[in-house]
Amino acid sequence: MLQILDPTHEAVPAGVQHAPRLASLSGKNVAFISNGKEGTTGFFKHLSSFLKEEYGVADTRLLVKSNYSAPADLHIMQSAKEFDAVVTGLGD
Amino acid sequence: MQLNSKLYDVDDFFAAQELFHSSGWTDGLPVVPPTSEAVAACLDWAGMEPAQLVGIEPVRERSINAEKLAINAVMAGCLPMHFPVVVAAWTAMLEQEFLLHGASASTGGSAVLLVLNGPIRNEIGSDGTFNALGSSDRATSVIGRALRLALINQLDVRPGQIDRSTFGHPGKFSYCISEDEEGTSWNSLAEERGIPAEISAVTVLAAGAPRQLMNEWTTVPEEILETFAAEIRANMRNYSIWPGNYAILIPPQLRAHLQAAGWSKADVAQRIFERARIHRREWADVGKGAVVRDRGDTEYPAMESPDQLMVIAAGGPAGGFGAVIPPWLGHKSHAVTMAIGACVDCGPIPS
Repeated sequence: MLQILDPTHEAVPAGVQHAPRLASLSGKNVAFISNGKEGTTGFFKHLSSFLKEEYGVADTRLLVKSNYSAPADLHIMQSAKEFDAVVTGLGD
Repeated sequence: MQLNSKLYDVDDFFAAQELFHSSGWTDGLPVVPPTSEAVAACLDWAGMEPAQLVGIEPVRERSINAEKLAINAVMAGCLPMHFPVVVAAWTAMLEQEFLLHGASASTGGSAVLLVLNGPIRNEIGSDGTFNALGSSDRATSVIGRALRLALINQLDVRPGQIDRSTFGHPGKFSYCISEDEEGTSWNSLAEERGIPAEISAVTVLAAGAPRQLMNEWTTVPEEILETFAAEIRANMRNYSIWPGNYAILIPPQLRAHLQAAGWSKADVAQRIFERARIHRREWADVGKGAVVRDRGDTEYPAMESPDQLMVIAAGGPAGGFGAVIPPWLGHKSHAVTMAIGACVDCGPIPS
């Protein structure tokens, strides 16, 4: 019989609370947090058109991180609070 | 010594393997079962309490403590004498400028290159000669592996989870080099980066795979170094244009010519700095013409200054080979050098 220790980080992670969902996107302002990589320009341009045409989004704005391999800059996180919704994600 | 981690009862060594593998706690290779006695021995050797904070990963705000590093070090095959090196390396990796989260998560697939300097190398039996980039010795093999296992288990850096590497490379198993300080008249890497000669130190770099080169047809320093510069230029064309901490490994057969001509590491770095640069238009030669645009004349250096180049004396006694180790994202993630021992959580000693 062996007794062996757990190698993982056992601290209980803080619970994640989702932001309250919008009832509708119509008339809302939406921000996109972009990692700034080459393929994002066309993607977010299309997404902007799509949200406006299909969901009646009033306006969109692109916020571009200064480092695609680091979390969003503080000023981006602060700017994001001015919007009704923010689109972010994982991509390359 | 009172340890705080959860304990599991398993029937035997083989049961321990299946528990750890099925839980996603390994790198795919067998592990040494981390018993309380083995973990406590590491902590005793390093003079650390189990709950002692080694550092905090700044992006996910995860604390890394001595006990957990010791558990992963034992799993990797580390002996107690290897553990202080693991702690120093992790302390360096957690420095903001290393950008550990980005380096671990990126599709770019870098591994943590660890370079050992100072008296610790001989104390632990590490060897910077034959097979320096492979399985040169027990110490570098297990210490490098301990870094990866702790990344897996402390920061969830598992393939498809936090680790989004498209390819990665074999350095993700272990990527630790001991500099061959006895085989050269040059200052060590750590000395060049500000650590006094008698102090043991580690340097960590988020690094790509090594790129081997060969030049056995000249003794002229400029020509030897041109081969290194050409390999760096190729990396800039084919992989990443961004400047940063490139590392070059120079073996005895090539070092002899450089040293005989009176070249120091600083001279080598200056020469590489001058020669390792490309113009954006060269991307068109390698299928990347679409991003040249109207900036074809823009010049990109491989380093922002000569002191970004890490010149390392390593390798077996015969063979006119060299190695270039490129940074993952050189302008955002930087090499960090840190002393080992009495001051594991402080920076270089001021001159």
